[in-house]
Amino acid sequence: MVADKSGLSKKETEQLMTTMNAIIRESLMDGKSVQMQGLGALEIKERPARAIVHPRTGERNIVPSKNQLVFRPAGTIKDEFKKL
Amino acid sequence: MADKLSWTDLRHALALRAGVSEKKVGAFLSAFQDQLIEVLKTDKQVKINGLGTFKVQAVAPRKSVNVNTGEEIIIEGYNKLVFAPEAGVKELVEKQPKEIDPLKKLGAQAEEIVDILGDLGQSPKEEVKEPEPEPVVIPEPVVIPEPVKEPEPEPIVIPEPVKEPEPEPVVIPEPVVMPEPVVEPEPKKKYHFVRDTLICVVILLMLLLAGYFFLRHRLGDILQNIMQPSDTEVVADTTTQAVVETEEAVEVTEPAPENMIPEGEISQEQILAEFLEASGELSPAENKYPDLITTEPMHEASRLAWMAKRFYGAKIYWPYLYDANRDVISNPHNIEVGTPIRVPKLTKLQLDTTNAETMATIESLREEALRSGE
Repeated sequence: MVADKSGLSKKETEQLMTTMNAIIRESLMDGKSVQMQGLGALEIKERPARAIVHPRTGERNIVPSKNQLVFRPAGTIKDEFKKL
Repeated sequence: MADKLSWTDLRHALALRAGVSEKKVGAFLSAFQDQLIEVLKTDKQVKINGLGTFKVQAVAPRKSVNVNTGEEIIIEGYNKLVFAPEAGVKELVEKQPKEIDPLKKLGAQAEEIVDILGDLGQSPKEEVKEPEPEPVVIPEPVVIPEPVKEPEPEPIVIPEPVKEPEPEPVVIPEPVVMPEPVVEPEPKKKYHFVRDTLICVVILLMLLLAGYFFLRHRLGDILQNIMQPSDTEVVADTTTQAVVETEEAVEVTEPAPENMIPEGEISQEQILAEFLEASGELSPAENKYPDLITTEPMHEASRLAWMAKRFYGAKIYWPYLYDANRDVISNPHNIEVGTPIRVPKLTKLQLDTTNAETMATIESLREEALRSGE
């Protein structure tokens, strides 16, 4: 379907898709946020370590910090989907 | 910014990597974007292999309160676009060490601090100027008006002369060379003096507060001591009355103190004498413990040991309580709720756990008490 719109061959589109994904992944690994025009941004956020208490045993534990891939939709697209 | 991959960057990289002209890549990207949005609108979900899934998620309407008016309002539901990364991608991201960044920041901060410190060390002007705001700002909120009035004006007065002599020798090279070394140390000393007085004042205040609380605590004790006689009065009255009314005074004393109000203006000694007389026959315990701290009805879930801990500071003294209340306690493990327990005043010797004799009496009383409970 993307092929139809862009006027490229299916093969080309597929190849572009995979390379695009690879590039996005790599740049995310580098700690970059990927800006996708008209869509939003994919970025890595660090979730800080936090203390939790086991509700049943009362044990105290620390959840180590970890990174999370988050998507921040662009303002325009956000509004567009709000009304859906 | 370097930590972003923009749309154009992506296009460049794609064209390079895939060996396709940038024009074609641009067409592909915009087609991809359009397609993504279109499918999202119809299917609510688009999965991109090797990356993750875009989803349209509905947010249900919810109640809220207008912060200004307190009115209840309903926030209408809406849809939002969310992205769930593929499992493999997620793992990769989570493992990726990001600690390098904060470390770098820390290093930069450290450098900045070093720079600032270096600046401070080089120019004495700033050093002297800095203390100015400190003494003025700190004393106002911390210390209570009375003593502060003295030091407060001081720091304000001192800095003024400090400012004047400084620029003179440093900036405008006037003939006088002397002031530089002489004037600069002086304000520092004065500043130290002000700080010292401030510290003294604070310490004094703290001491005063401590003294106040101590006194109040002691006053409470003294008041308690004064109150004691009235307690004995209550007991004495009831016991004397009880003797008159019935011979079984012991049983009557149990409910009486709760309802009774001290009557009559008989002198304390008289009461005490009568009290001792009245109770003397019944239990020799009163003779052993002439002074009472208080008489307290047995609470539910209370124990002699706990009362002992409360009044004497340790549970081990509980046998004394048993000894002083033998007449009302049949089983020390099971005392009826509401039973008035006399709490006698114990002498230092009686509370001395290092004294072998005292310990022996406590032990024997304890054994006696335990035996009676069997």
